[in-house]
Amino acid sequence: MSWGLFWQAMLSGITNSFVYALIGIGLAVIFKGTKVINAMQGEFAVVGGIVTVFALQAYGVPYFPAALIGIAAGALLGLIVDILFVRPMMRRKAGEESFLLLTIGLAFTISAGLLYFVGRDSYLLPGIGGSGVVEMFDAFIPVHSYWLVGISVVVVILLRLFYTYSLTGLAMAATSIDPIGAATNGINVTLMRTYTFALGGAVGALAGILVAPLVSVNYHMGIALTLKGFAAAILGGLANPIGAVVGGLVIGISEALAVIGISSGYKDIAAMTVMIIVMIVMPNGILGRAGRRGG
Amino acid sequence: MSPAPVTAKSARLVLDVQGVAHRFGGLRVLEDVNIAAPESQIVGLIGPNGSGKTTLFNIITGFIRPRSGTVSVNGRDVAQDSIQQRSRDGLLRTFQTPKVFDHMTVLENVMMGMHAHTSSGVLATMFAMPSARRELASTRASALQTCERFGIAHLAATRAGELPAGLRRVVELARAHQAKPKLLLLDEPSSGLSGPEIDTLRGWIRVFASEGTTVLLVSHDMGLMDVCDVVNVLYFGRVIATGPMAAIRDDQKVRDAYLGAA
Amino acid sequence: MAFARNKLLIAAVAVVALLLPLLLQRHYVDVMVFAGLYGIAGLGVALLLGQCGIVSLGQAFFYGIGAYSSAYLCVTLGLSPIFGIVVGAALSALIAFIIGWPILRLTGFFLALATLAIGMIGGILFYEWDWLTGGTLGIGGIPTLSLFGFELNTPQRYYYFVWAIFLVAIWLSHNLVTGRAGLAMRAMRDAPPAAEALAVDMHALKTKIFVLCAVLGSLAGSLFAHYATYVSVQSFTVERSIIFLLIPVIAGAASVWGTIIGALFVALAPELLSGLGDAHQVLFGLALVLVVTLLPEGIVGLPKLVMKRFGA
Ligand SMILES: Nc1ncnc2c1ncn2[C@@H]1O[C@H](COP(=O)(O)OP(=O)(O)OP(=O)(O)O)[C@@H](O)[C@H]1O
Ligand SMILES: [Mg+2]
Repeated sequence: MSWGLFWQAMLSGITNSFVYALIGIGLAVIFKGTKVINAMQGEFAVVGGIVTVFALQAYGVPYFPAALIGIAAGALLGLIVDILFVRPMMRRKAGEESFLLLTIGLAFTISAGLLYFVGRDSYLLPGIGGSGVVEMFDAFIPVHSYWLVGISVVVVILLRLFYTYSLTGLAMAATSIDPIGAATNGINVTLMRTYTFALGGAVGALAGILVAPLVSVNYHMGIALTLKGFAAAILGGLANPIGAVVGGLVIGISEALAVIGISSGYKDIAAMTVMIIVMIVMPNGILGRAGRRGG
Repeated sequence: MSPAPVTAKSARLVLDVQGVAHRFGGLRVLEDVNIAAPESQIVGLIGPNGSGKTTLFNIITGFIRPRSGTVSVNGRDVAQDSIQQRSRDGLLRTFQTPKVFDHMTVLENVMMGMHAHTSSGVLATMFAMPSARRELASTRASALQTCERFGIAHLAATRAGELPAGLRRVVELARAHQAKPKLLLLDEPSSGLSGPEIDTLRGWIRVFASEGTTVLLVSHDMGLMDVCDVVNVLYFGRVIATGPMAAIRDDQKVRDAYLGAA
Repeated sequence: MAFARNKLLIAAVAVVALLLPLLLQRHYVDVMVFAGLYGIAGLGVALLLGQCGIVSLGQAFFYGIGAYSSAYLCVTLGLSPIFGIVVGAALSALIAFIIGWPILRLTGFFLALATLAIGMIGGILFYEWDWLTGGTLGIGGIPTLSLFGFELNTPQRYYYFVWAIFLVAIWLSHNLVTGRAGLAMRAMRDAPPAAEALAVDMHALKTKIFVLCAVLGSLAGSLFAHYATYVSVQSFTVERSIIFLLIPVIAGAASVWGTIIGALFVALAPELLSGLGDAHQVLFGLALVLVVTLLPEGIVGLPKLVMKRFGA
């Protein structure tokens, strides 16, 4: 394999890693706010991407507002999921496995719904900054990739600022750490959870919109995105957005190595394997999931 | 016929904790703790909140590995043994918040006490081998007897999760009795119990000891502590006094450190 | 009184079940065969979910191993079907053990997503290893089974065969969950530290049930291969795993007999909704979501819920 192909695979792996990081950050946002691992996070991305495509192509909305509509769709979906399903289950104090079944069921439903409404086609968005490419290390990188990385970094920074400085962000963080304490301090815990889901949905949708120009979106890609985002998030420690970027890089580069070393069919296997190994080898690692033993 | 009083020196030590120390991060929870429990005695462990009593239980039963020190059961160092191995060797504990199996019936809870004493495997159970069926039937019969003895036979078919706190304690105790442990560690069994219920509990603790079970008892209820042959006082991770409850009450150090604070 | 009524009900159901293939159109007998096949695989998932609290999203992987073992050994190597079934089950058990031992230290979400990842890896391998599986073209010409010289080559005959196996598997599972191991499983689900303190080796027990679940999945896959006589990757995707998971969830995972209801649901619902085309998948997903949100104990728990709601 020539160096050009090597770098081509590597650099597209690195680009993808920011998409996984964004999905992972969305997952982390929701986990932080609700202690639920949202197995339909990838679906937010697919919905965001497809809504943007339709706004742009079927309804002729200009690019930027179309993207905003896509993001709003993700946020709205998060809102609906929380109000219709998560709230009653929280009230019932449902267990972890119930939330998992719920979000898996929603992922399945949304994926099937997309199949019904938009079919099996893959939808491509035009790249931000056109369809130009830039040569780098003998490889050709779409201009859009730079935008993708840049926007992802900005989102990471904005989230960080939001959670550290804004009142809403602080309240959302407080809710997750100590819901009862937050409630006694006059924070509307239920509402904060809804905000959390909306924010997670928006971040997920953004990931979908950013990835659509590179690999296109289809009804079927949600679950794989969820798993890779989850891998990125746990690698980086679920609470930490910058960690998710590092985690995303590990996944993206593992995929690239699988593409280079074996074949592109093994890309997902590499990502999933890394994820499983990380969970086993660093069970409480950066995550700090080490619960108290005994009584 | 009252048994001759045994002194700590002459009796065999069922539990011997030596020089145990533990930290959580920077927090020193236990330091150079020495505690001994002679056979068939009731040994108390008291100390203010956060003094490390539950942590010591966790170390003795294998839920936590200590930073240093040894735990010997029946004269053997158990450092390498898993929780399950210790349990099979006759070590049993209860928990500060009663841990009954909520979705199982009272009878099934008590049957679980026999787990370490039974052996039917997954395949034998699936294929309903006669041995497995016999074992299950005898476990059930024996557990039912225990339920009767503890006055909960009428609740045998009730889900344990539906019981009030006091009865959950009784179920936990009956389950422990079913397990016939050599060493029973009770972590605040009196919390949440009413006066009369505590009297019953005291009776049961005596029954355990009279049947040859050594008991290590943690409680904040000083009245209950009278059942103990000997009491250890833990204060900020150190044992500051050991002796009969009467002597402990008069100990100036203990008064300053513990009873005064309470 | 209630007991006698129950017995009567069971007898009635049994008679109907026995007569069903004679009364139904061939197509619906076929659907019932699939209910039995899915039920066997779903029963494994039910044991994990209902007894151990483990959400398995990878059952289609073992279903695939069984199906491909049967297909490959019978068609490519020309061996007798029994080899395919046994080799598939043994292979599944081995793989489940190798995977299960490390991952069953995980719990909750993390374990569930690990099983999902394994299911996806399995699906990709079935696709990539086309020298073994035939890839999207699949493997055809798998022989039908015969029992003591009696060819199981019609849906009617296969119906009795598969449902007999399904019922025996349920009976074995029933013994398991009401026996010593079942008590231990439920104990470790309710209060893990207390179960450990009573000498329950949780990790070993979970691993055994995981292996058992895989063997049931593999058996169902083998039986599927000999019924359909053709297998290809489409049958072993994550969607199939979710359908297997739906079986215990619909019915209420705590009851092994409930898997019958769950199996009938997942097999019949698409039939009844087939007029809707692809939309039936949406309704499947919604069924899962609604049961989880509204019926925490599944359909089996419905009467209790109704009683509670409306007082009785
Ligand atoms: N797993 C753990 N991680 C960190 N700190 C812990 C852990 N378990 C206990 N601690 C801390 O160690 C100290 C001793 O706790 P422990 O539960 O042993 O006390 P205790 O004597 O049982 O108190 P109580 O009377 O309230 O039950 C406390 O400060 C507690 O917060
Ligand atoms: Mg304590």
